[in-house]
Amino acid sequence: MSTLYLDRPSPLNRLNPITKLVGVVSIIILVFALPYWWAPLAILILVVVPAALLARVGGRLLVVSGVLLVPLMIVIIVAQGFFNPRGETILFSLGSFNFSLEGLLFALAVGGRTVVLVTATMVLLFTTHPGKLLNALSKNGMPPKIAYVISSTLQIIPSFRTRADSILLAQRSRGLKTGGNPFRRFAVLIPLLSPLILGVFVDVDERSTAMEARAFGSTAKRTALEVLPDPLVEHIARWAVIIVALVALALSFIGALPQVSWPL
Amino acid sequence: MTDMIALAGVHYSYPDTETEVLRGIDLTVDAGQVVGVVGASGVGKTTLAKVISGFIPHSEGGELSGGVEVDGIQVPTSTLADVVSRVGLVTQNPFNQISGAKFTVREEIAFGLENLGVPRDEMIERVADVVELLGIEELVDRSPYALSGGQQQLVAIASMMVMAPRVLVMDEPTSQLDPSGSRLVFDIMESLASKGTAVIVFEHKLELLRETAEVLHVLADGVIAATGTPREVLSDARTDEWGVGATRFTRAARRAVEQGLLPKKTELPVSLPDAVEVFRR
Amino acid sequence: MTDIDKPVDPNRTRNNIFIIAGTVVVVATYLYLIIAQPAAVGDGVASGGTPALITLAGYLLGAILIAFGAINRLPTTTVVLVPVAIAINIVVGQITSALGLPLYLDSIGTILVAVVAGPAAGAVTGGLSNVIWGLTLSPLALPFAIVAIVIGFVAGWAARIGVFRSYWAPPIAGIVTGIIAALASSPISAFIFGGATGGGTGAIVAAFQAFGNSLLASTTLQGLLSDPLDKLITFTVVMFILLALPTRFKQRFPFVRQYNVLPGMKKKATPAA
Repeated sequence: MSTLYLDRPSPLNRLNPITKLVGVVSIIILVFALPYWWAPLAILILVVVPAALLARVGGRLLVVSGVLLVPLMIVIIVAQGFFNPRGETILFSLGSFNFSLEGLLFALAVGGRTVVLVTATMVLLFTTHPGKLLNALSKNGMPPKIAYVISSTLQIIPSFRTRADSILLAQRSRGLKTGGNPFRRFAVLIPLLSPLILGVFVDVDERSTAMEARAFGSTAKRTALEVLPDPLVEHIARWAVIIVALVALALSFIGALPQVSWPL
Repeated sequence: MTDMIALAGVHYSYPDTETEVLRGIDLTVDAGQVVGVVGASGVGKTTLAKVISGFIPHSEGGELSGGVEVDGIQVPTSTLADVVSRVGLVTQNPFNQISGAKFTVREEIAFGLENLGVPRDEMIERVADVVELLGIEELVDRSPYALSGGQQQLVAIASMMVMAPRVLVMDEPTSQLDPSGSRLVFDIMESLASKGTAVIVFEHKLELLRETAEVLHVLADGVIAATGTPREVLSDARTDEWGVGATRFTRAARRAVEQGLLPKKTELPVSLPDAVEVFRR
Repeated sequence: MTDIDKPVDPNRTRNNIFIIAGTVVVVATYLYLIIAQPAAVGDGVASGGTPALITLAGYLLGAILIAFGAINRLPTTTVVLVPVAIAINIVVGQITSALGLPLYLDSIGTILVAVVAGPAAGAVTGGLSNVIWGLTLSPLALPFAIVAIVIGFVAGWAARIGVFRSYWAPPIAGIVTGIIAALASSPISAFIFGGATGGGTGAIVAAFQAFGNSLLASTTLQGLLSDPLDKLITFTVVMFILLALPTRFKQRFPFVRQYNVLPGMKKKATPAA
């Protein structure tokens, strides 16, 4: 099974998946609603990082998100710092290019939102078993066929990856280089594609009839074997959190949030 | 005794082909009976299994004629859902039978019941019963994809059994299993039959068929070439011609008869207990 | 059409309403962004949050409505294709990026399913493919789910009108689909991510901005640089694969038979017993 889930004993792991989902959604709403450039940073430091530490996934989060986010932040800071059209206050110059404060703050704001989006989602994924998440969503209206597609895909990806790796290994042992010009690198993919794609067509009938035999097409109201605990406390917390986020959004929309202009 | 499976004059050819794979099949299975079908590889055993379980013609199409009646309904004209609720099919490839919808074996087994909307208490009980019967208690919390082929086959059988079909069609259900696993599955077939299920099993394992099946059919050239008790059929001299083969006990005894060590009229043994009985005399 | 292919869909009307509602939401969001042109992005220090949320919410809601409606219209034989197709998307996509190619090649499975099973199937494969990518590799993929849905949908329709019956049409359809994908994804890139969804793409967007283009224009140009080529190759690969596939595999699909999607399918096939 190929998700980011880590089976660690932590309070976050024990929460109902819907609670965590609502939490992430609220964080995302907040981070986009608050018009302060430092809002994403604040939420990162005050909410996301403590949550990650509480869930004991801090180190993992740093590594996995860092790989994605560091190049991204560098690029956006450079791009917006030098080329943002609203740039007035010059901080420094490189040749004929001026790096502006407005650009930097914009980069921190927009890039920061991306960072919060990614890290909050990752904390959710690190602490939630996909099976439990899908069960919780199915209970709340997600079509069972979608749950089936997601869980089935997650479980067969490892075997596909293994098959692909062994094909690549066999190619490499036959002397095929994976470096070189783009065309040669593309050629590496070709012998990979047909055995993998054949997997789509082979046994379609057997698999679909096996699913039919398990009443997959049934229109009855489905029941569930596994029940997820959903304490009242979490119910209340969910509502509280989303209301806060929506109120912030509303206030921001009508311009009622206090103007904090620092450092501008 | 009621006929749970009744095939009358069944002919079948696959879509867009001209040769008939089944050329006039007549066979019946009563409730509480275990009936075996043997035949060479590729002769059409899987095709016949699909006809009985309804996937021919509903899933595969093709030209099907003749009477196919299962648990009182006409299979070709009923809906697939109707047929599937009465007939359980277990195939050779357990990987294709694992739904993929669930992350633990326990939930995988319950999947069919969840889809039918069976109440939770009943589900828990039925799953536990089936798990105990198949002896797979230690697998219930594991991922279905992290199991060996044999374990997956047991899970596939459990998933089918839990649906409590009145008719069970087993197409080489022990292909991935070792001798003790195979024996377990045959014992289960026997026990299900004793509770009233009609079981038809397509297999190569002659000794186990001898011990469990009440009636044995030989499928050769698209027709039933022979019918009888397992001992009668499997000790027939034509088994090699049919592509069925014979157990070592049968071959040893046949050679002994040829060499005059055993009387000509000896009923040839098929399994070990038979052989012990024959050679003792 | 054999029994198992008939979709058991007692909620056909409800599902169609979902799909239509979802499409309306998506189109409305897109039009709002293009026409109203919220000047917030690239303008001012930290505003631009509300248009981003509108983009995110609109596209996500639309994607969910479409996916929920479409999946219930698919028969079991189609639904079991989807996990395998998504797995191909993920694995090939990952290898492509590991090889450092300037392509994605992460929708081969989507186009394949769209061509053999139709627009609804393609849409579902695309959308859920993004979800899986988001769950396993990078959450950045999640807001782009609607783009993948559109790609699958367009490919399915292309197949339906006979594009894959010829050898010259699929590559062109690929280019067109790529252009659509670039146009659909640029607001997401610009408003939600400020043009930076990764180091490489972000750098290209920055380069376009250096020449004085607005953020939205820059993300659009970056998309137009990579998506049409990527889809051109994807469509061509799918075409070749389907050509090489034995007829008996292809004829099992009612969509292929009904709309005569693929060339040369009139031969008689001998299946295995």
